[in-house]
Amino acid sequence: MGEVIVVTSGKGGVGKTTTTANIGTGLASLGKKVVLVDTDIGLRNLDVVMGLENRIVYDLIDVSDGNCRLKQALIKDKRFDDRLFLLPAAQTKDKNAISEQQMKDLCATLKEEFDYTIIDCPAGIEQGFKNAIAGAEKALVITTPEVSAVRDADRIIGLLEAAELPDPRLIINRLRPAMVKQGDMMDIDDMIDILAVSLLGVVPEDEKIVVSTNRGEPAVLDEMSLAGEAYRNISRRLTGEEVPLMNLDVNDGLMGRLRKLFGFSK
Amino acid sequence: MTDKTFASEREEDGIQQKEQGRPPVDEMQTILIKKTMRSGQIIRYPGNVVVMGDVNPGAEIIAGGNIVVMGFLRGVAHAGAAGTDDKIVTAFRLRPTQLRIANHITRAPDEQPEAYPEYPELARIKNGVVVIDRYVPGDKQKA
Ligand SMILES: Nc1ncnc2c1ncn2[C@@H]1O[C@H](COP(=O)(O)OP(=O)(O)OP(=O)(O)O)[C@@H](O)[C@H]1O
Ligand SMILES: [Mg+2]
Repeated sequence: MGEVIVVTSGKGGVGKTTTTANIGTGLASLGKKVVLVDTDIGLRNLDVVMGLENRIVYDLIDVSDGNCRLKQALIKDKRFDDRLFLLPAAQTKDKNAISEQQMKDLCATLKEEFDYTIIDCPAGIEQGFKNAIAGAEKALVITTPEVSAVRDADRIIGLLEAAELPDPRLIINRLRPAMVKQGDMMDIDDMIDILAVSLLGVVPEDEKIVVSTNRGEPAVLDEMSLAGEAYRNISRRLTGEEVPLMNLDVNDGLMGRLRKLFGFSK
Repeated sequence: MTDKTFASEREEDGIQQKEQGRPPVDEMQTILIKKTMRSGQIIRYPGNVVVMGDVNPGAEIIAGGNIVVMGFLRGVAHAGAAGTDDKIVTAFRLRPTQLRIANHITRAPDEQPEAYPEYPELARIKNGVVVIDRYVPGDKQKA
């Protein structure tokens, strides 16, 4: 039996899809069997980020409506033999085209076959969010170091607790260490103080993310990308391995705190 | 306040007020919230509210009685919401976005202060304005 993990944030555009693609690819690189489910119906992008758009025939709604079998809708990522698959979102339907129960059933089926089922959640707290979390057992909350993103992450954590998906893990994305150092960006302590959840990883701002998104090759496959390295570490932590936070090339004060924090939150 | 105000507006948030439909509880009764209140969560209660956790920015407590927060109060707190001036708000760290007692409103300064007091504080009404003092256990601070 595998794990079903939803990647969520509340606020839009903070890196849910980027994170889903990268940790999915990262886990497949570690030899795990992974399926990515795009639940952002009407605004699908995970297929583009994965470079699989041109192979879509059937989608999530075709599966839930019974227009095709699950196996037919799963797109295989050729980079990983039989280990990485994508179930794309429908582009022309709306979020009510699938129900929470259908999502639960789907996740229950997928987890029998896959080590990790990773669900890319749409922004917001409406039905799309409820569907995305319905079949999940664990949640990753993505935020950026901005007050509004942290506020939304807090709201989402409250909703996850209410939905009995407790102890979500936090990923801080697009951190700019130089800005933190100058006091122009929220630091990690500030965010953890408010959110009071354990930190799974910190992903730096990295131009390579943009390049890799456009190419359809997740940054986690790029040995030279700092964000890629962060996602490789996060993937390993998800498998239970203890990996220290990477050096984001700032002064020891922050790094010392980072390490302490991570040790703390384990 | 009408009965309806005592019910949570956002049922999906997990913190729900179960008093809807029943007659208003006396101002002396107390409800205990054993968790951190997060953004978007709101509690309305006719009596006292004690939170064993933080009240995060974007969360709100509206109490007919007093409000006691064992952790950080960073959200909005309204004590004595039915108009009673003798109610207090106290917190381990009192850093509310906005604090109201009865009909008096104070809010956080627009500029972030250099340093916050690192001790528990208590807010109450003195001579018609909200004043915030260091909380001294055992002190007869309640006006
Ligand atoms: N660490 C990063 N460094 C630089 N750019 C990034 C980083 N993470 C994400 N981005 C960029 O931010 C944008 C939004 O990312 P993404 O689509 O993953 O967010 P999302 O949370 O899925 O958005 P939505 O809420 O619309 O689904 C993309 O253009 C992406 O390339
Ligand atoms: Mg997305």
